Amino acid sequence: MNEKVTLTPANLTLRHPELGTGPVPADAYWKPGFYQRELDAIFKRAWMCVGRVEQAAKPGDFFQKPIPTFDFSVIVARGKDKQLRAFYNVCQHRGNHIELRDHGHCVAFTCPFHGWTYGLDGKLVGVPDEQAFFDLEKTKLRLKELPLEVWEGFIFVNLSPEPPMTLTEFLGDHGKDLEGYPFERGTAIFEYEGTFNCNWKCMVDSFCETYHVPVLHRHSVKDTLAGPDNPHGRLIDIRLKGPHRTQSVWGNMAYQPNPVQGLAFRNAPGPSITSGAVDESIVLPKGLNETRAPNWSIDVTVFFPNWIIVMGSGMYFTHQMWPLAPNKVVWQMRGYMRPATNAAQRFGQENSMVELRDAVLEDCNTLERIQSSLDQGLISEFIFHDHELALRHQYHVVQQWVNDYERDLKKTKKAAKKADKKSVKNK
Amino acid sequence: MATLNPKPASRLPKDFSALECWLDDWELADSTARHEKRLTTPLADTRAFYDALLPQAEAVLAYLATRKLGKLAANDERLLKLMLALAEIGPAIEWYGTGDYPDAFDARRFPLTVTLSDTAPQGQPT
Repeated sequence: MNEKVTLTPANLTLRHPELGTGPVPADAYWKPGFYQRELDAIFKRAWMCVGRVEQAAKPGDFFQKPIPTFDFSVIVARGKDKQLRAFYNVCQHRGNHIELRDHGHCVAFTCPFHGWTYGLDGKLVGVPDEQAFFDLEKTKLRLKELPLEVWEGFIFVNLSPEPPMTLTEFLGDHGKDLEGYPFERGTAIFEYEGTFNCNWKCMVDSFCETYHVPVLHRHSVKDTLAGPDNPHGRLIDIRLKGPHRTQSVWGNMAYQPNPVQGLAFRNAPGPSITSGAVDESIVLPKGLNETRAPNWSIDVTVFFPNWIIVMGSGMYFTHQMWPLAPNKVVWQMRGYMRPATNAAQRFGQENSMVELRDAVLEDCNTLERIQSSLDQGLISEFIFHDHELALRHQYHVVQQWVNDYERDLKKTKKAAKKADKKSVKNK
Repeated sequence: MATLNPKPASRLPKDFSALECWLDDWELADSTARHEKRLTTPLADTRAFYDALLPQAEAVLAYLATRKLGKLAANDERLLKLMLALAEIGPAIEWYGTGDYPDAFDARRFPLTVTLSDTAPQGQPT
C-alpha cells in the first residue's frame, strides 16, 4: 500500500448531528401523494438550470429547453437590448407553440397557427386581421415570461412568478465557492438522454456516493476512483451547503490507463474526466477539492433539486433529472469538453464521450431494480453508510422544503380566511 | 489497344495504407453509428479490429495531430474515423470483454441527442 495515501475516516455524518444516523424512510421514493407535494413545493419554486449564455450569445439568438416534468417548453431569447429573457412557448391567442425549432436566430417569433407575432422582448407586435377581433388589448397579450437569472454563464429560470428567493440567495455559498471555474472553456458539447423507471431522487443518489464503485463499477472505473489503496470507495470529503451538497471523489494516482484509454488521455484537448490529471493552467475555485487533497479526481456537486455538475480540472459534465412520475424520470447527461483543434484531439474527445456513457449505463439496471422493490413495498427504509451522507442530506432537504412550503401555505390561507371574515363583519 | 488500369487511389494516407482493409466495416457516419456497430458485432471481430489498429495507433495519432479539423483531406477523414471506432470499442475489449453491456442493460435507451461532428472545426471560447 502506498504510505502517502490516507483515507477519510468514517465520521462525516457526525459533523451534522441534525441529520441523525438511523435508517431513513423510503416513502418519499414511491408515494404518489408525496410526489405531487414535491412538485408543488420544490420543482415549482426552486431555480432550475436551462442552459448556458453561449446558446444565445447574440441579439436574436434563442433556444428552447423542454421541461419534461410539466410538459412544456421554455424559450430563452436574447433581445435587441442584449437582455436574456425566458418565455413559455405558448401563443396567447389559442395556446399553440410559437417556436418549433430547438434553437436559431430571429427578429421575432411568429406562431405557425395564425401568424401572431411577438418581439424578442415578448411584446405582441403583430396580429393578422386585427380589426376582426373584439376589444383586443395587445399590450396585455405579451408572451408569459419566467424569472431568469444567470450564474457563471448558466441560465436559471423559476416557475414561480414570484420566486421565494433570488438565484444568488438560493445558491448561497455553494454557488459562490465555485465561481471562477472556466466553465466557458467547455465549448465542445455532447448530451445523452433517456427515460428510466425510477424516482428522480434515486437517480440523483446514483451519482452521490462512491461506496458502490468498487462493486458495481468493477469493470470500469473501480481502479480510477477506488483501487487497492481505497478498496471500499471512501470519499475525500462531503460538504453540505444549504440545500446543496458536494462530494470530493478520491482518485487513484497510481492508476495505469488501458491502452486505448492511455492514448486518449495523452491526446485529449484537456485532462479527461476519468484520467484524474490536473490542468495546471487553471486556478481551482475555493469550492472545488476544497480540502486540497492531493489524491483528488473529481467533485460531484449537486444543485438542489435536480442538477449536478461533475467537475474535473479539464472538463465537466452535468446531469439533470426531470421527474415524470413517482417512479419515472428523464435523465440528461451533458458533457462540456475543451474544443479540439486537430484530429488526434477529436479521438481523445470520443474516448471521454464513450467512457462516460459506458460507466453510467452500469448504474441503470440497479436503479430500476431498486424502484421495483420500492413500488412493491419490499423495502421501507434505507440504511446509509457514513459516506452516503449526501443521500441522507437529500432526504432531509426534500422533507424540509415540502414541510416549510406547506406550513407557509397554511399560514397564508389562515390569514386570508381571517381577513375575509373581518371584511364580512365590517359590511 | 489495351488500356492500362489506373492504379486505384489510396483511401488512407500512404503510411497507413495497410489499414485500408478495415474501412468497409469500421468507417462509420457518426458516434451513434459506431456505438450501434459495437453492439451488433461479434466480439471476435471487434477484437480483430482492435488488435490490428492498436499497434499503429501511436503513429496514427502523431500524424492526426498535424491535421486540423475542418481542413482534413478525404484520406485523413477516413483515418480519423477508424480511430474514432477504436475509441468506441476500447471499453468493449479493455473493460467488459463483451460487445454490449454487463448485466445486459439496453444501451439504446440512452442515445446521444447532441453530438460532435467527427471532422468539423470546433468553436473556440469567446
